[in-house]
Amino acid sequence: MTRGDTVGIVGAGTFGTALAVALARAGREVVLYTRTPMVAAAIAQTRRCPRLPEVEIPAAVRVVVDPADLAAAARFLVVAVTSADVAARLTELGAVVDGGHLIVHAIGALAAPDDVRVSDLIERLTPVLRAGVLAGPALPGDLASGRFASMVVASSFDEVVAEARRLLNLPPTLRLYGSRDLAGVELASALAGAYTVALGLADGAAVGAGPRAVFITRAVAEATRLVEATGGAARTFAGLAGLGNLLIRAASDDDPDYRLGRALARGERDRPRTEGAHAALTGLRLAERRRVRMPLLAGLAAVLDGKLDVAAAARLAADTVAVEE
Amino acid sequence: MASDRPVLEARSRLDGFNADRDRVLREVERRVVERVTRKAAAGGDASLEYVLNDVCVSEIKRLDGSGGDAGRWRDLAHRLGAMSPAQLAGELRALVAHYGKDIVGNFDPRVYRFATKVLTPGLGFLFSPTRSVRGGVGGLLAELDSRIQVEGPLEHLRAMAERGTLVVTPTHSSNMDSVVIGLALERAGLPPVTYGAGKNLFTNPFISFFMHNLGAYRVDRRLRFELYKEILKEYSTVLLESGYHSLFFPGGTRCRSNVIEPSLKLGLLGTTVTAYRNQLAAGGAHKKIYVVPATINYRLVLEAETLIGDYLAETGKSRYIITDDEFSRLGRIVEFVRKILVHEGAVVIRFGRPLDALGHDVDDDGRSLDRRGRPVDLRGYFTDAAGAIAVDEQRDAEYTRLLGRRLVAAFPRESVFHATAVAARAIYDRLCAAAGTRDIYRLTRLPPGRTVAVADVIRTLGALRAQLAARPEAGRLHARVAAAGDSAVLDDAVRALGTYHSHPVIERVSDQVRVGDVKLLYYYQNRLAHLPVEVVP
Repeated sequence: MTRGDTVGIVGAGTFGTALAVALARAGREVVLYTRTPMVAAAIAQTRRCPRLPEVEIPAAVRVVVDPADLAAAARFLVVAVTSADVAARLTELGAVVDGGHLIVHAIGALAAPDDVRVSDLIERLTPVLRAGVLAGPALPGDLASGRFASMVVASSFDEVVAEARRLLNLPPTLRLYGSRDLAGVELASALAGAYTVALGLADGAAVGAGPRAVFITRAVAEATRLVEATGGAARTFAGLAGLGNLLIRAASDDDPDYRLGRALARGERDRPRTEGAHAALTGLRLAERRRVRMPLLAGLAAVLDGKLDVAAAARLAADTVAVEE
Repeated sequence: MASDRPVLEARSRLDGFNADRDRVLREVERRVVERVTRKAAAGGDASLEYVLNDVCVSEIKRLDGSGGDAGRWRDLAHRLGAMSPAQLAGELRALVAHYGKDIVGNFDPRVYRFATKVLTPGLGFLFSPTRSVRGGVGGLLAELDSRIQVEGPLEHLRAMAERGTLVVTPTHSSNMDSVVIGLALERAGLPPVTYGAGKNLFTNPFISFFMHNLGAYRVDRRLRFELYKEILKEYSTVLLESGYHSLFFPGGTRCRSNVIEPSLKLGLLGTTVTAYRNQLAAGGAHKKIYVVPATINYRLVLEAETLIGDYLAETGKSRYIITDDEFSRLGRIVEFVRKILVHEGAVVIRFGRPLDALGHDVDDDGRSLDRRGRPVDLRGYFTDAAGAIAVDEQRDAEYTRLLGRRLVAAFPRESVFHATAVAARAIYDRLCAAAGTRDIYRLTRLPPGRTVAVADVIRTLGALRAQLAARPEAGRLHARVAAAGDSAVLDDAVRALGTYHSHPVIERVSDQVRVGDVKLLYYYQNRLAHLPVEVVP
């Protein structure tokens, strides 16, 4: 295998580790970068990652702790860290990658502190121009256990989409679709996390099947407005990155965003904020700047900020929907 | 390490162009024929029959519309279906050669010397006959330099012209631009450039003579078929690969509204990326291409009345080719030179720091820098998974878009605002505040002769000044405007806008400014349209 056939993964979290496992099982060359020596040592000793301990990591997955080793080993890199960490990781990477690298990220949120798209951060912090996003209904558990999963890779560069599909497509386990709507897919992926929290909240409050269906439909409508307002395609949120993502994540009790929503419904307000919670707040700020009306997201943000209780938010959302939609 | 010697005057590579012209043409023909023939193998829309038919249909439409004889094209169109592959290929070669010869430029060093040694000081004479005669040729040139001012990192640009190939990319608001930028390059010690000029500009014999002999190649915007575009782009690509400094107006055509170009036509600009990729593939990574953003800032614009009239009448479908504007009348040009260029600093040409072919900044040694200021090797951007230079038109089109975005960001930053633009914006802001709308169409329907208070305009001018001072990325005031008080700036603008155009744009009436032509006021204030509107009490 050559450097061009190797996938470099940044971040040994649940998604990064699960993707590395799925790729290695399919015979792909994988280098997994973690900045935490303890995690690297744990994997070396036990072939288990502390963030995904139930899955054995094949010996073919090479773990490195120096980003220069990652950049030297792989041309195609997948960044799978949290939105809070991404600027720091890209800053590190920026020092070791060059214009020949391709980077796709799998971060379902806008990046702190100024709500930028992660692809913009890649361009700002690294010399890499050929960038993309990986998003959609592929849960780490599904990837690691070999169940069918599907994602979309989006980039303004056809080459990035083609390389992602060449290196990451693992039929029948993982099927990758392509899109040129980079901005739309990035935002749809972030908003899907936010609506996952909101749907967890609705399910926790046992609103029932009818209101749940209305909620999902209205989420698609308001998210589409924001995606379009930021230059994305109207159909993008209704695809894998948006609706597909929301439906699968809201069906999994393991999903952190969905769990947070259910916890909020139980009145547990001091839970740490998840990626979806951050996405709700950043998405709402973006919507306000673009003057896009998003009553569902506004209700969720108010709950997250402690300004509304769950019942009031549900009533507000229902009233707004009934009156204005 | 910075350049080890200042370059006072970069070498003119165009001096050798005429001897090289046949090679350039042959190379263009070879590449276009090879590429079109290769693509034709896919059949369908790419087939030679389809490509040639596209030429025929377009030419028949053009000639029928202009009363020309389209018989040759009708005949060819009828014969296409019965032609053998060899005959189709022969017809393709003949057409590529025909259009290539129509495009190709010419550079006569004698004409260039005449233009720089005689005409340039002559312009100085026109500005101030008595003073410049007393000062000799030096005095004449000093007169010219005080009228047409050149700013920017000129020494750095001269060094880059020696190290690589320059692509000068100015904003475009007047047909005078190519003349003015030619003068600016000469006065700045920068080399002459080759550039594509609309074929309509060649109809004036005087202008045509200089266009023909100063490196201009002909762009016939009436020819809309793909084959012509391919030939044109390939011609530009080969010129750049051959090291000929070039000039593109990336806005495509003169900006009708006078807004600083917010978007660009990327066709010819894309040849910068293609040429650099070709050089890399040929082992010439060191032969860099530097894209130089530039702005041409007029105190008054020769064709302002036609341009804004066209813009407002035809927004969204404006004429791409205007043949009946002020530029087509020699008398108007002479009047422009005598009335407008007579003002000190009447035109400011400001060059920005150069970018590489992908839009990166470059350091003093011409090395590309990433957004964090670290050197980057451009070769990697063009390699495939195996590490080889790969031809990928979609990728290069994206790189061109990135380059375009960097240019669009550079244009306001490098803009210089005259009193006419700043005062027009202040007056327009007051007018809009009073009318309760910024919609130009609604404003034009208001009764003529509306007035705004001088005191209000002065306050708004001060606020605009403060905005510009706080936002260097939005541009800068002309040195004379920066040094003058707000009241003097308004007086200066009233003088200029009140006397040049066919009727006064603005007039001072006691403590009021009367707006005589809201369309032209809108035109001039549009130069600052990128500045947000602030409410000034």
